[in-house]
Amino acid sequence: MEKFTEFKNIVTDPYTYCRKYKEETGNKIVGFTCSYTPEEIIYAAGALPFRLFGTDEGIHRADMHLQSYCCSLVRGILEEGLSGRLDFINGVVFPHTCDSIQRLSDIWRLNVTPKFHIDLVLPVKLNTTSARQYLIDVMEKFKKDLESALGVKITDAALSDAIKLYNQIRKLMMKLYTLRAQKPETLKGRDLHSIIKAAMIMDRQLLLKTLSDIVEQTQKAPASKMKPETKKLLLTGGICSHPDIYDIIENAGGVVVWDDLCTGSRYFEGILDEKAPPLEAIAQRYLDRDICPAKHAGLTDRGESLVQMVRQHQADGVVFMLLKFCDPHAFDYPYIKEMLERENIPCMLLDMEEQLPAGGQLQTRFETFIQIL
Amino acid sequence: MITAGIDIGSITAKAAIVDGGKIIATKIIFTGYNAELAGQKVYDEVLIEAGLGKTAIDKIVSTGYGRNAVGFADKSFTEIMAHAAGAYFLNPLIHSIIDIGGQDSKAILLDDKGKVKNFVMNDKCAAGTGRFLEVMARALEVNLDDFGTMSQKSASPSKISSLCTVFAESEVISLIARGEKRQDIIAGIHESIAARVSSMLARIGVQKPAMITGGVARNSGVVLALSKKLDMEMEVSPYAQVNGAIGAAILAAAL
Repeated sequence: MEKFTEFKNIVTDPYTYCRKYKEETGNKIVGFTCSYTPEEIIYAAGALPFRLFGTDEGIHRADMHLQSYCCSLVRGILEEGLSGRLDFINGVVFPHTCDSIQRLSDIWRLNVTPKFHIDLVLPVKLNTTSARQYLIDVMEKFKKDLESALGVKITDAALSDAIKLYNQIRKLMMKLYTLRAQKPETLKGRDLHSIIKAAMIMDRQLLLKTLSDIVEQTQKAPASKMKPETKKLLLTGGICSHPDIYDIIENAGGVVVWDDLCTGSRYFEGILDEKAPPLEAIAQRYLDRDICPAKHAGLTDRGESLVQMVRQHQADGVVFMLLKFCDPHAFDYPYIKEMLERENIPCMLLDMEEQLPAGGQLQTRFETFIQIL
Repeated sequence: MITAGIDIGSITAKAAIVDGGKIIATKIIFTGYNAELAGQKVYDEVLIEAGLGKTAIDKIVSTGYGRNAVGFADKSFTEIMAHAAGAYFLNPLIHSIIDIGGQDSKAILLDDKGKVKNFVMNDKCAAGTGRFLEVMARALEVNLDDFGTMSQKSASPSKISSLCTVFAESEVISLIARGEKRQDIIAGIHESIAARVSSMLARIGVQKPAMITGGVARNSGVVLALSKKLDMEMEVSPYAQVNGAIGAAILAAAL
């Protein structure tokens, strides 16, 4: 489909897209590093929220600043910042999640061309009574910081519009994921991956329009012809920047029916209350949403929600996409693995960096895992 | 029913012909540059060995990293599935398999019926593989086939602390320069492989009885070091290196 090519081009070369966007619209672009960024506020300020994904090519500048046990995502983002390739962005937002992102923020502030730099100091525990008020205050402060950085006034009306737009996008994303889980052959995993990545980059109005078309087409597509022996997998972890993974799984006789990834369902999960005061509604979503392991909401919250997700989508197995040196995810892995085993849900650990392990061996692992399911 | 299994590994290509419950012939050649050609060649040679024509073979299954290059196979399975089938065929009591090949090592857990329950793969690093031993053999100017017997003469194995093949090689060169005995260095190399592989095994938990397969199983020094490290008998079949090919032939019979 033509539309996928559009998404793919944006994902393959986001910088060219952003430069052109800036030139054409005159809008500002605000970079962000993780899905705990309240994009609605950035959008309401008239800027384009742009997720930084880093690079896997020739990292050498970042190595001078980072410890060797730092994940390749943070390393890649810093490399891009230091290289000057991100010169089109007007500033960056760093939500405080894992240690490495927090340190990235400091290194960025001291070493990357001084454009605006905002730390979003989120609470770590999200399940306490004080967390809600704290989070609302953080959003309040972020709004003010952004106003002075961009020299604009963010009105409640603009915030409400942004919330409505994001709600529509999130609902469509959820619908697309659900449709695809029902009839996986209508949409390649690789294409779905492009869509969700592009959703964090491109003009959100355009996204909404294109997404509506794709959802409509997928809805019209004939019902599932999925072979009964196809194994349904669920991906969990931080980010997945490897569209190849989906091909490998599909070639090995499997299909990804859902995920619990920062570049997946965690990004679009949760609809905001359009009647509530905007900043409160934004804060509430982070309290209700499935957490990232850098946050806390009960000792076994993530595990329980993963088991439920597996049941809901009738997945045959779970693949942990563990980015090397991502300690929040690595700390959670043992207990979640035990929990899945207790529930008789098979799982496989895929330890990876921005670069994938050798193709042949990766194929062997997925083929074997799918064959034993 | 006569079936054939072709296992294209990173260093060697193996073939086996099995007739019902009996192994008729096996063959090992170097894989070389062209995996497709190696598959063809090892198959031709095993047929000669068995004294059979192509028409006598009912089904063929390919396995190993080059499994998809074997165009004439009826189906392909991963080497993990093939090693499990092979080990279960050779000894149905086996519950764990440690397969140390040319470019990676794997641990496989089997249930009572020989079905794969779980597996882990070391595919990031050459330490603890056949390639590691080849590099060391070159540095020590010792024939790899003599590694097993030589290491067993050692009274005090040298310490090799580097986990990386390249650094371990320079460490070995320093040991040579210091005048350490060859047998001690070799025994030290075997212990370092055992340490590497057993840490991988600890992740899935080995269950007795265990079998070691793959080309490195031919090295009695590694087998001994591993049994010591794991405090467990390691079964080694004379077919260890062709176990994957045998397993593929067994899987072919079930097609």
